Amino acid sequence: MIIMMLFPMTSQSQTENEETISDTLVYKQKYGLRIGGDIGKLVRTAVDDDYTGFEINGDYRLTKKLYIAGELGTEERRIANGFIDVTAKGSYFKGGIDYNTYTNWLDMQNMIYTGFRVGVSSFSQTRNSITIFNADQFWESPSTDNSIKEFNGLSAIWIELVIGLKAELFTNFYAGLNLQIKSNISQDQPDGFENLYIPGFNRTYDSGRFGIGFGYTLSYLIPIYKKDKKVVVEAEKN
Amino acid sequence: MKRIIILLSFLALITIIALSCERDDICAEDTATTPHLIIRFYDINNQDELKQVRQLEIIGLDDDDMPFSTTPILNRTNTDSIALPLRFADEGVETKTRFQLVKDADFADNMDDSNDSNIDIIEVKYTPEFIYVSRACGYKSIFNLGTTGGLTQEIDADNWIISTEILNENIENENAAHIIIYIN
Repeated sequence: MIIMMLFPMTSQSQTENEETISDTLVYKQKYGLRIGGDIGKLVRTAVDDDYTGFEINGDYRLTKKLYIAGELGTEERRIANGFIDVTAKGSYFKGGIDYNTYTNWLDMQNMIYTGFRVGVSSFSQTRNSITIFNADQFWESPSTDNSIKEFNGLSAIWIELVIGLKAELFTNFYAGLNLQIKSNISQDQPDGFENLYIPGFNRTYDSGRFGIGFGYTLSYLIPIYKKDKKVVVEAEKN
Repeated sequence: MKRIIILLSFLALITIIALSCERDDICAEDTATTPHLIIRFYDINNQDELKQVRQLEIIGLDDDDMPFSTTPILNRTNTDSIALPLRFADEGVETKTRFQLVKDADFADNMDDSNDSNIDIIEVKYTPEFIYVSRACGYKSIFNLGTTGGLTQEIDADNWIISTEILNENIENENAAHIIIYIN
């Protein structure tokens, strides 16, 4: 998948060396710090009783295409089915880079980007109750243990591949969405139990170390300086 | 641009397919969860040979020694091995379950005085322990029969169960017999 992500980078302008009369236009490009939050998590917090989450994110533009980016957040998620009822709670930090693969027209500053992150999370899991799974229901009343058991001081590290877009809705005001594909590197598993949800990583899967996440962001760009962007406009020979 | 949109949707599709195929949320039937107690019957006169019990019926008894349910655990079958569900409530608390094993159960229904069914009662004593299985199945219980008194037999005038032997005091799976009962 990483190799596939590299393709777009190699497919850009081949038109520069053509012998045409050309004008050069100069547009100012803003460089600065963009700060925002994940509205998807806020909406879910309002709608889903079993979820509370908050994330701020930011990026800083280094070059024409390269951004340093990071997210800082906190999540609480309760997972309950008929047999198990667990709440995971904790905070996370993700840092990495975004690479803009979109060639903007004129003075536009939209992004279609790919990036990667390294994420760390520190969290706890609380086992609210369990009902013992027994396929044989002859004795009817299943055994339920309501004693609360806490597993504290858990942590996890993972990497993410991010693809997404950011569009400038108004001046300096951006909306974005992204997809994160995550791969767990290491995690502390609680004794005699398992991490069902890792804040920042989202739910885990029995089959392996992969996870998935979505982000819906609103952010504001604080311009720090401007740089010229030269655009070559070709004119036809008469 | 177009390429990226295609890539994006392709990646999204792959992930959705990959994740929707997960069986994580349903406890699969072949998962080893709370085990039954496995008992096999051997011939007392030839202790390496399994022996079938004729028309065996098994009834689970409640605390007052009354049948717990109108449906028996095992319905009149010729068999040399049985799987009994164990009753449990709290982890680490010694629990017992009593079973009524009826041999020749069909004889109880006929009016012939020359034959009758033979009822023997066994009591199994064990300590449950809860073990995590998976997200979908949650926890299972395993049992420890302890070093003494794991299995007792009620003595009556005509026991068809001659003697018993605990092979494995840890009931963790259903792969092999935990208890052997010798019969005539």
